Amino acid sequence: MSAVIEIEGLRKTFHGPYRSRHVAVDGFDLLVGRGEIHGFLGPNGSGKTTTLRALLGLVRADSGRMRLFGEDVPRAQARVAARVGAIVETPQFFGNFTGHRTLRLLALAGGVPTRRVDEVLAQVGLLDRGEDDVRGYSLGMRQRLAVASALLKEPELLILDEPANGLDPAGIREMRDLMRSLADAGVTVLLSSHILGEIQLICDHVTIVSAGRRVAAGPVAEVLAGHDQHEWLVRVPEPDRAAELLRAAGLAVDERPEHLVVGGVSDAGEVSRLLGEQGLWVRELVPLRPDLESVFLKLTDGGVRDEEAGA
Amino acid sequence: MNLVRAEWERLATRRFMRLMLVLLVLAFAVTAVTTLVGSHRPSPDEIVAAQQSAAQQRQALEDTFQQCLAAVRGTLPPEEAQDYPPNCSVFDPGQRDRLPVAADHLQGVFTFADQARPLLYFLVAFLVLFGFLVGASYIGADLSTGGVVNLLIWRPRRLAVLGAKLGTLLGALTLLSVLASAAYLGVFWLIGQGAGLPGATGGDFWPGLGLIWLRGLVLVLLAAAAGFALATLGRRTAAALGAVTAYAVVWELGLRVVVEVVGLPRGEDWMLSTYLDAWLTGQARLSDATACRGVSGYCDGNYQIGWGLGLAVLLTLVGVLTMAAFGAFRRRDLS
Repeated sequence: MSAVIEIEGLRKTFHGPYRSRHVAVDGFDLLVGRGEIHGFLGPNGSGKTTTLRALLGLVRADSGRMRLFGEDVPRAQARVAARVGAIVETPQFFGNFTGHRTLRLLALAGGVPTRRVDEVLAQVGLLDRGEDDVRGYSLGMRQRLAVASALLKEPELLILDEPANGLDPAGIREMRDLMRSLADAGVTVLLSSHILGEIQLICDHVTIVSAGRRVAAGPVAEVLAGHDQHEWLVRVPEPDRAAELLRAAGLAVDERPEHLVVGGVSDAGEVSRLLGEQGLWVRELVPLRPDLESVFLKLTDGGVRDEEAGA
Repeated sequence: MNLVRAEWERLATRRFMRLMLVLLVLAFAVTAVTTLVGSHRPSPDEIVAAQQSAAQQRQALEDTFQQCLAAVRGTLPPEEAQDYPPNCSVFDPGQRDRLPVAADHLQGVFTFADQARPLLYFLVAFLVLFGFLVGASYIGADLSTGGVVNLLIWRPRRLAVLGAKLGTLLGALTLLSVLASAAYLGVFWLIGQGAGLPGATGGDFWPGLGLIWLRGLVLVLLAAAAGFALATLGRRTAAALGAVTAYAVVWELGLRVVVEVVGLPRGEDWMLSTYLDAWLTGQARLSDATACRGVSGYCDGNYQIGWGLGLAVLLTLVGVLTMAAFGAFRRRDLS
């Protein structure tokens, strides 16, 4: 699979007043293959938005290499721009412009046929509100408008920074369906989001960033498997005695109020056998598989803001 | 071309632009209506009386000048001669900007030829303010709301995008200035024809008025470019307004006081307003009190700064600001 986005060793430092410096991105790597829906996760201040801005030519990197569709950017930015649709954070629109006019002006500036405006408004479910002023839009509607603006030029790569911001559950679901239909149509999607469950549902690949560095990357299933502790939730009639027995057999046991968490064993039958031999019949035995949230929290020091963690 | 078209449409639909246009029309309407209400067509008797008064005033000026010349020649009694300076040019009617005319003595009569210049200066002042504010807010709002970022994701050529914005702004202001000036002067010309006097509009009247208009147009465009550049440098509209306010308070007011207290020679040369005046009026007439220190004879300390130097200073200032704005915009990180 050819790479649509390649970032190697990206570094960006922001300089503040009184010679203060903040390293936003510190040797970050990212690889996004064609046709992927790629989740981009990290706590606030971890360098996600700076990375996206650098990729779009809005921020100058100090060092590192970035390529879009195999072409070095920002040098080839103008050449590849037509193939990239993007929203970075929640874009602000002029309140007294209608949604339709907002998109029409972008289409004009980008040389896109203005007939696309109605098409993308329909795609994001805003066609019937297209002639309303943007000031009357909810946060979710503005977010849809932003996504519509990114879709105008029928991009091959869609970069979306927190597209679900402000959306209600139904809106999030619609957005998920939209992403999926775009991916089915061959569009590569790079999705930055804090809604980890959403990323797990929609993305096939993921990159996790913390303090400006990549801490995990790969297919979602592989990243999760890499953090599988082989833990099991166990419910038995005499939990104290069961815990003693399992510990004696060399297993790690964490006693919780309602159940035990048993780790260090890959075969559930082993747990069942050890307890059954002593007359303790297991009522419930459930594997505890890691989800993206637990992996994210583990890799990013509990998901605290990197600015705070570094402070 | 598409970018310019989009910018043109964006500028035309900006709320601030529309508000300023409404203010322009309002100011225009108020001036026109008050002029119309306060003017009447003079009767033949009024005109004759006014012509006589003007003729008497012109004769009085000529008499004073001749008296001065006689004093210089020494043909006037000493007690009368002491009232005149050794240089009579200040009394020379031929060197006055204009001689008294009948219109000066007509009460409640709007005379187009006499009022056209001040009216045009008023319009230019409004358009300069309009140009500066619209120029600053046009890019300032785009920068502070992320509109420029949106555009750059589409057209990642920073200089072309900023250039298209500035070009569109200057083009729109030129068109607006032409239309507003034509409508404005046209209405007052009609008032002069119907409810006042057209006055002496022959000779170099129209070429002179056209020259003032041209100078005003250049000033409007320079003000717009300056507002645009300052807001680009400061990333928001308020930066341009703050810079101009700070300049006016610290430099034009503060430094002027310091210059007067210290007695610095030709302090006016350091003020931008001097060069604005020189460019717009053709020549800034200034007075330097320090020039007459130690001079025993007649000394008025007057000097002039021509329109050429005025234009050069204004062009240099706006050129440097604009280049700095484009340079900063090309390099800076955008958020």
